[in-house]
Amino acid sequence: MTGASIAIQVLRLAKVLGRRAVLKDVDFQIVAGQRVALVGANGAGKTTLLRCLASLARPSAGAVHWFGQPARGNPQARRLLGLVAHDSLLYPHLTLRENLLFAARMCDVDHPRQRVEGLLESTGLRPHGHRLPAAVSRGMRQRLSIARALVHYPRILLLDEPFAGLDTAGAEWLTELLIALGQSGRTVCFTAHDDAIISRLADRVLEVRSGRVYEIPRDSAGIPILYRSTERRAA
Amino acid sequence: MTAKLWWMIRKDLLSEYRSRRTWPAMLLLGILVAVVFTVQMDLPPEGQRRIAGGLLWLAILFAGVLALDRSFALESEDHCGEGLLLYPVSPTAVYLAKLLVNVFALAALEMILIPLFIALSGVPLLAHPWATLLVAGLGNVAICAIGTPLSALAAKIPERGNLSALLVFPLIIPVLLAASEATRLIAEDRLGAEWWRWVQFVAAFALVFLVSGTVLFDFLVED
Repeated sequence: MTGASIAIQVLRLAKVLGRRAVLKDVDFQIVAGQRVALVGANGAGKTTLLRCLASLARPSAGAVHWFGQPARGNPQARRLLGLVAHDSLLYPHLTLRENLLFAARMCDVDHPRQRVEGLLESTGLRPHGHRLPAAVSRGMRQRLSIARALVHYPRILLLDEPFAGLDTAGAEWLTELLIALGQSGRTVCFTAHDDAIISRLADRVLEVRSGRVYEIPRDSAGIPILYRSTERRAA
Repeated sequence: MTAKLWWMIRKDLLSEYRSRRTWPAMLLLGILVAVVFTVQMDLPPEGQRRIAGGLLWLAILFAGVLALDRSFALESEDHCGEGLLLYPVSPTAVYLAKLLVNVFALAALEMILIPLFIALSGVPLLAHPWATLLVAGLGNVAICAIGTPLSALAAKIPERGNLSALLVFPLIIPVLLAASEATRLIAEDRLGAEWWRWVQFVAAFALVFLVSGTVLFDFLVED
């Protein structure tokens, strides 16, 4: 497999927070176009792993590569990546439209105003574009965070519990969006707890447990056998 | 990079304009300190000229630290600062944008405090306007060059209180002393070799702080 077809490569990654080893010797790779779910119990290290994948956290050891390029110390490579974090990452004193416009300009997007209006339209936020993030619902903020992460057409999209705060219609919209992104060749890696969403969305499921990452097997129909991880934890 | 620098500066100024969280408090504190200092300064004109520079720079520092402290607190809200680090922009550009916003804030403060000091004390701080501008500009850059990365460091710590001030004050003492001396010599109309030496001293610190801020910023903002 060539470096170009491997979207994310994680090499012997370790992360120590204080005295606790949150991630130990993690090794895996994600092929371009795959939709990968990261699962695990609360506090297992999913968010830390996602932050390391996004180069927001400095690994204690090991490295992350995006399409063969080192993720750290390489600002230009960040064009490859979009992140929907646990927090909205939205500026509270800029309107929804200004937040997106700022992101578009920081990412050198061509025709930023047109791109922003298009995203506001597709997320259903156009009538609220003039409002501040605090003046809209959590679900709307989440939609805007997703739009912000997509503003520069990233080839890799990382999402930390993206369905949190979305209503049924919002969750359906996001599911279809992530499926469409995967079909268009974008690599999607997300954390989630809902087995139904994971089964529907994920090509692969990785479980973070005791600081290590394990691949969850699939049944004959190709559906990840999620209950096994629960059984294992119970055991 | 210039365009991105401008968008980051604009974003900070727009946020401050809408929230009015830092500048009004900074200006009010600066004015209060300046008024108290000048009212209490019951000295003959020679004595006033001797200490006016020190008092002016103390007022600038006390009030300016408020602006420095808040410059990264804004990025802590909803972890926006992390969003900034995800953009294809070098940490140096983020540092320079924050630095320029802080320099702008301190310049606004000085534009009020210097005339106020002159009006209340009668000390001719603007007898040599270009000299005053040079000292104020270099002092500004030195304070902000070290205050900006330390504010970034402090912003990552929950319940940080006045950590920025605690970190900035010890490091800024040499700059404060040199800028005060240079300002005193302006007030005493002595723009000779001694004045130039103090100006060079402030400039050297500004340069050292700028270089260290640029080099260290990436490490300070990372998790």
